[in-house]
Formats: sequence, structure tokens, C-alpha cells
Amino acid sequence: MTINRKKASERLVTLVWGLGLIGLWEIGATVVENTKRSPQNVLPHLYQIIQSVFSTAMVSNKQTALQIVLSNAGLTLYRAGIGFLIGIAVGFLLALLMQRFVPIEKIAFPYLMMIQMIPILGMAPIVLAITKDIDKSRIVIAAILTFYPVATNTLAGFKSVEKEKYELMHSIAATDRQLYTKLLIPACIPYFFTGLKISAPMAITASILVDTLQGGGGLGCMLSQSLKHAMSIYVFWQIVFLSAIVGILSYQLMALIEKIVSPYERAGA
Amino acid sequence: MSDRKEFSLNKNMISTAVYPIFFGLFILLLWETEALHKIIDADTFTLPVPSRIIGIIAENLPSILKNTKATVQVAVGGLVLGSLLGYLLAMIATAFPKWGKGGLTIVSAFNAVPVIAIAPIMTNLTKDFSRDPNLRSMLAKTLVVMLLCTVSMSINAFRGFNELKPFSEDLMKSIAAKPASVFFKLRVPNSVPYIFTALRVSVPGSVIFAMVSEYFAEYIIGVGRQIRENIVLAQYATAWAYIAAAFVIGVTMYIILLIFENILLRGRR
Repeated sequence: MTINRKKASERLVTLVWGLGLIGLWEIGATVVENTKRSPQNVLPHLYQIIQSVFSTAMVSNKQTALQIVLSNAGLTLYRAGIGFLIGIAVGFLLALLMQRFVPIEKIAFPYLMMIQMIPILGMAPIVLAITKDIDKSRIVIAAILTFYPVATNTLAGFKSVEKEKYELMHSIAATDRQLYTKLLIPACIPYFFTGLKISAPMAITASILVDTLQGGGGLGCMLSQSLKHAMSIYVFWQIVFLSAIVGILSYQLMALIEKIVSPYERAGA
Repeated sequence: MSDRKEFSLNKNMISTAVYPIFFGLFILLLWETEALHKIIDADTFTLPVPSRIIGIIAENLPSILKNTKATVQVAVGGLVLGSLLGYLLAMIATAFPKWGKGGLTIVSAFNAVPVIAIAPIMTNLTKDFSRDPNLRSMLAKTLVVMLLCTVSMSINAFRGFNELKPFSEDLMKSIAAKPASVFFKLRVPNSVPYIFTALRVSVPGSVIFAMVSEYFAEYIIGVGRQIRENIVLAQYATAWAYIAAAFVIGVTMYIILLIFENILLRGRR
């Protein structure tokens, strides 16, 4: 009972904060409306953005603003998703290899550390130049950004297994396969998901950024066109909100999958 | 006996250093001899050999330094301001836990919002700040970096203030410590490692965010922008020179962080 009430009050607090944020935005929008010549470029009212979502006016190519945003979102998210999956596979595999073979760990670990310090997103244009294909470069960048958080976190998971547990497994003559399926992989799952939660929003950001580099569709491309006033500015605002929502949802999705895969671990989180 | 142990430890340390260096040299050799180009199917035009990139860096040193300075200013300025603000917010949230926690839930949602969505908004918002496009672009970029660093610092510092050792708070209460002394003698020292957790994310992040926000800034300056501009002009070798600069910025800032961490956290582990 008290727990329920506490939860409800927590929800109320969050709700109040959310409303406060909306209020702040609206105050800002009103100020901008009265001081700037084209307020919709700087900070439109939220209702104007919502209106544009439901508006049936054609923005370009016989599409409404919403149709443009959604069709391009599909394009971008699909590539981000493929890159994300490849990144997960490579990252997990690398962590396994590093756990298994000491020389590989020694070779790869410093580079894994280093890759965190390199602004990979800044390298997006050069990846595009090398792969010569925007779809490929979207996938490559999303995969690179996914692979190292997954690899480092999964490796940390493997390392977190206590020595006693290894000894126990050896003492009961467990096979290699059993060692992995019964001990190591379950132990690394929470860490693995930490990696996924970090990298899911990053993969989406990367994919949108790569879009802005070249024409040919995708959220980022529409975003820069809308900023250049090639189409309604509300397309830009819709994309801003959509990317924020998708970013948050991608994180929540990973948390949800984690809950399904391992319902007993981290029950509190 | 102890002699032998020392020797094996030494050998271990040597292999830890030698393996990755050897691997790095091997890749450089492949790159320089253009074997790497065959593997990833690139040409020397888009992926120049290292010696040529070094030559280009030497030729363009003044302009590279100028752009590096612009990026570093934005990254460091945003990082410092954002981290201080984040720490302050965490303090306020700790003082008013009921409302603070809900507020931080909202703040943490910003973590998943792509930089791409924030950067153009900031550029538009700061348009009237100054006549000088360089100055107002600088402000817009710093604000983007600041916002994202604030988020990661406030979340981590709040945890640092509140995830105390069991019973330490009770001890402080039992000796009738004032809330202020609980704060400065217990919470602040406890938050130091958490500050570094935040910085480990936001130091590399600040460079990336600075570079990405350069894409959307009015004034054309900065390492990230130069990578892109040079690729648009098909000057790939120059773009690589700027990538090298970005790499140096990222690694240098991270190493400075590690040195600070080593000094401040000495004796804690």
C-alpha cells in the first residue's frame, strides 16, 4: 500500500516536472513570437508543431509533413537497426574472443579504450567517401558506435565472475560448453545490456547524422533541407521531436528486452 | 621465489605493451604499403597513406592549429560549464530529494536525445546574441556541449551524493551533525569517484558534440566542420589531416582526465 502510494507520488512529481518543462517552452515561444520576425524558425508553440503533424497540407512531392517524416524515418531507422545488430554481434564475439585468448585481449583492449576517445561521428564523412554508398556508410558507422560499448561492457561482465565460481565449475568437471552456457554468459548478460542501452541511441544519432551528409532520403537529409527552407520548417520540428522520442524509446526497448531475457536480475532497476 | 614472480610479472607487462604496439605497426605497414586499401576496397585518393597525411599536416599546420583551437575551446568550455552546472543541479536535487529525483528523471531523458536535434535549435536561438557570426556560433556550440555534459554530471553526482556507505548517514546523525556538515564531510567526498564516472563519458562526448554542432553552426570553423568541408571539396588528404587532429584532441583530453583521476582518487581503491 505504502509502496504504491510512494510510486504514485513519484509519478506525480515527474508529471509536474514534465508540465513545468512544457510551460517553460511555451513561455519561451511567446517571448520569441513577440520579438522575432519568423518565430517558427526559432521556437514555435508546441500546439503549432502538433497542428503540423495532423495537417493535410502538401509540403512537397504530394506528401504531407507527417508522411515525409515517417517514410524517411523508416529508411533511417532500418539502416540504424542493421548496423546496431551487426555491431552487437561483432562486439559480443570480440568480447568472447578476448575472454578466451589472452593475446587477443592484450592486443584489442588498448584499441577498445582508444576508440572511445576518437570522435567517430566526426569521421562519418570519410566513411562515406570510402564506402561510396550512403546506405553502407550508415550501417558501418552505426555498427562501429555499437560494437565498442557492447564489447567493453560484455568483457567487464566476463571479468566480474569470481574465481571461486570457476573453481566450482572445474571441480564438478563441467565441460567448456557448460562453463559458457551456465556461468559466463548468464554473468555477462546485465553488463551486455548496459552496453546495448548506451549504444542504441548512439546508433540512431549516427544514422541521422550520416543522412545529413548527402541527399537521397533519410531523416537527417530532410532535416537539413527543412533548415534550408526547401520545405516547411515544421518538418524540422517534427524530426527533432521524433528523434528525441525514438532515442528514448530505443533505450526503453533495450530495458524491456533485458527484463524479458533476465527477469530476476536487477529486479529493482 | 619472489624473484621469479617479479620476472613473470615483468614479462606480463612487457607483452601487454608489446602486443598492441606490434599490432598497430602492422596495420600502419599494411596501410602504407596499400595492402589495407585492397582489403577494404578503397583507393589512395580517399584513403591516403600515412606518410602523405603527415606531409599534409606539416603543410597546413597553421590552419589546423586554428581550427583545433576553436574546437578545443568549445569542448572544454562546454565541458567545464556543463559539469559545474550539473554538479550544482545534483546538489539542489539532493537538498530537495522528493522533487529533485523526479526532476532528474526528466533530465536523464535528455541523454537519449540526439545531438543532431539540439544543435540546429541552439544555432537558431542564439542568432540575435551578437553581430559577429563567429562569436554567436561559438556560443551555440558551447551551449550544446554544455547541455549534454550537464545531464551526465547531474545524474552521476546525484548518485554520488546519495549512494552512501551503509550506516554512515546514521552515524552522522547520531553525533548530531548539522545537515551542512553531513553534506560537506560525507556527501561531497563520496561523490568524487562518481564525478569521474561522469567525466569519462562527457570528456570524449564533449569533443564529439563540439564537432557535430560545428556542422550546424553558421561560421565555418572547427575540426569537425573542416573534415566535412574538405570532403565536399574532394580534398580527402586534408580531411584526413583534420581527422588526425580530432584524434589527437580526443586522446589528449582523455589522458589529462586519467592523470587527474589518478591524482585525486589515489588511495581510494
